[in-house]
Order: sequence, then C-alpha cells, then structure tokens
Amino acid sequence: MTLDDLRDDIDRVDEVLVRLLNERARCVCEIGRLKKETGMEVYQPDREKQVLQHVRAIASEGPLGPDAVARLFERIIDEARRLERRVVHGQIDESGQVPPAQKE
Amino acid sequence: MVVVMQEGATDNQIEQVVKRLVEMGMDVHKSTGVTRTVLGAVGQGRPDAALIEMMDGVHEVVRISSPYKLASRTFKSEPTVVTVGDVRIGGDEVIVMAGPCSAESEQQVMAAAVAVRRAGAKVLRGGAFKPRSSPYSFQGLGEEGLRILQDASRAENMALVSEVMDISQIDLIERYCDIFQVGARNMQNFTLLRELGHRRKPVLLKRGISATIEEWLLSAEYILSGGNTDVILCERGIRTFETATRNTFDVSAIAMVKKLSHLPVIADPSHGAGRRDMVAPLARAAVAAGADGLIVEVHCDPDHALSDGAQSMFPSQFDRLMAELRIIAPAIGRSICLEASPRRGWGT
Repeated sequence: MTLDDLRDDIDRVDEVLVRLLNERARCVCEIGRLKKETGMEVYQPDREKQVLQHVRAIASEGPLGPDAVARLFERIIDEARRLERRVVHGQIDESGQVPPAQKE
Repeated sequence: MVVVMQEGATDNQIEQVVKRLVEMGMDVHKSTGVTRTVLGAVGQGRPDAALIEMMDGVHEVVRISSPYKLASRTFKSEPTVVTVGDVRIGGDEVIVMAGPCSAESEQQVMAAAVAVRRAGAKVLRGGAFKPRSSPYSFQGLGEEGLRILQDASRAENMALVSEVMDISQIDLIERYCDIFQVGARNMQNFTLLRELGHRRKPVLLKRGISATIEEWLLSAEYILSGGNTDVILCERGIRTFETATRNTFDVSAIAMVKKLSHLPVIADPSHGAGRRDMVAPLARAAVAAGADGLIVEVHCDPDHALSDGAQSMFPSQFDRLMAELRIIAPAIGRSICLEASPRRGWGT
C-alpha cells in the first residue's frame, strides 16, 4: 500500500469515528436531559470509572493498549461532561441545538 | 486554571476536586499521567484558586487568566486616552503634571504654577489634604488650599489634580479639581475606590507602597467596575530592602503595566527616591520606558516648603528636565509640549 492509500484509509476511519462520536454525544445529551429532570449531578465519578474500565477491558489486543485507550476516553468523557452541563444549564437542548430564545 | 494533583493522590481526592470545579461552572479536562494527574479547568466560571489549593491531594494550582478583567489588555486592546479639557493622557503626547507638594499660600501656589506652566506642564498638582506619615506634620489647608489651587490652575489655563484621602472629601474635591488623585496609602481603600467609580471625573491611582502590579490593577478594577472608565495609573516607587533611597522606583512596572493593561501609566519620580537630585534621572528613565506622563513636585523655595521639600525640584531644575525630555520623547516616537513662553538662555 502506498502512503496515499494509507492516508485515504485514515480519512475513512476518521469519518466513521466522528459519526460514532456524535452518536455517543446524542446519548450524552439525552442523559443530560434526564439528569436535569431528576436533579442528578452532572459529575458521576463512579460511572466515569465504569466507562474507563469497560474500554480498557476491550482494548487489550490493539496496538494502543488499555492505558492509551483510557487516556483517549478521558478526553471523550471531558467533552461529554461539558455537553451535559450545557444541557442542564439550558444552553443547548437535548438534541444539541441552541434554544431559539438564546440566539442573538 | 491548572490543578496539579500530588503524586499518588487517590481517586477519591481527584473526584472531589473535579466535583468542586464542575460546581464552580468549569469544564474539566482530566489528564492521568503515570504518577500525577493534571486537571485543566476552563470556562466562564470564576473558580477560587485558594479554595482548590486547600483541598486534599492538590499539589499546586496555577492560574492562567488574570483576576482583573476591565483593566486588562485582553478586554480592550486599544489604549485608553483620558481627556481633560484639551489635555489627552495616554495619547502620543507625554503629559507633565507639576506643582508643589501642598498648597501653602496663594503666592506660593501661583509662583509654582507660573513656573511649571512656562516650562511646559499642562496639569497643576498640589495637595490640600495631606496624608502625612506623622499626625504632627503639616496636614494641608483643606478647602482654602483647593480654592488657591483652582485659582492658580485657571489663571494658568491648566487642569488640576489633587489628592482625595477619604470618601467624605470627594464632593468637595470634585467641585475644585479636574482629576482625583488616590495616593499610595489609599490604593486599597476599597470604599473610596468604589465611590470614585461612581463619579465621572478621571482618577489618578498611585501604586501602593508594597502593592504588586496585580493588586494595583485590581484596585483600578474597583473604579472601572463602577462605570468610571477614566483611570490613570501612577508608579511611585515601592518598598524594598534598599535603604540608600527611600523607595525603589520600579521602571519595569511601567513597561509591564503597558503590556497588561490598556490604561495610561504615568510616573511620580519625586516620591520614588525622596531626594531632589534623583528626580530628573528617574523622570528621564520613566519617559524612556514608555510612561504616558509624569507628576513632579516643584517648589519655588523648597528649603522652606511645609512638606516634601527635600524631593521638590527648583523651577530651574524642572526647566532643564523638560528640555531633556524634549530630546527623549521624540526618540521613542512620542511628542511633548514645547515651552509655553521661551526665555532667553540655554536650551533654545
């Protein structure tokens, strides 16, 4: 395979990754709505720990390894927390859109 | 804000810090290293660094944004120009304010005003209420002093700056003066600063004798946050371990504040060293460092002055200083007032 072929592969993988990340983010927004309704805290350290344990457990075979995968997922969780906080504070709705009243 | 956790901080300790930061409205970026965890906190919240630093498992908190906002260059990138009549402080021209330390008599103030005006000063300085280190020293003439100063400034077509020491003097001083001066000892008199923030005359804010630049800008923030946008900062020397001079004049503060803030910065070389022979060198250094102006004590008979005689310049020394500044200012791309009425003799 040539360098260009490999780069094309990376672009394809990134497209799938972004789609999947957004799918995950939609779940996060829904969770934000539920937390808002039930008055539950955005930050749930035990759940974050579970998520990291889960991804570590399924990361053993690839070249990244569990530690690197966990570090990447820390970033994903950071962004999820940010999204949830914005939903809870009403800055965006559960579909991730800015509510009409807040637009300039 | 960056929170560095101690080596071996427990999961529970890290969770508590994250929880606290989230409560404070911050987005947290958690990076788990081999031995240490680092938490980056960003967002619109205003986390209290001292509170976080006290939490279990925290090694260090590094603040990355300044605690003042309105005074910062990030808030306003173009320099602020404070206008008093036709005097513009913070523009191209280096503005010199000069006059006696305190108003003693009509004659004394008038003589000083005439001398400094002729040499190119555009603002008359002079105190009517004097914050003296000793209660037995001359305390100033009060309202009579203000009247004398105002008469002299009007006669010489100059703006007038005078010190306000207490919230109770504000109305009186506002009636007579064009610029309020807040002295070094009052830099953290927050009730006074707050009240001046509600007035619409410019405030010349001197740096406290042991104030950091950050504390100084926070004091400016008090005035700005009240809605008064015309704040002029003034470096006047700080207390250090040196005893040969009374205070150490901090030239670096002038350059530093110009970077951190959009507010004009002037220098008071008279109080820095407390000695007449040091005034001119410090004044030259201040202008060369980028000061927007100077405030200098000049007395026609300094040996008999009722206050600060030792650091007051003779009019002839002031003339010479102004002539020197007319060479320095253009060298760094600034202008400075020409002699109002040139006399025969040297310098022409």
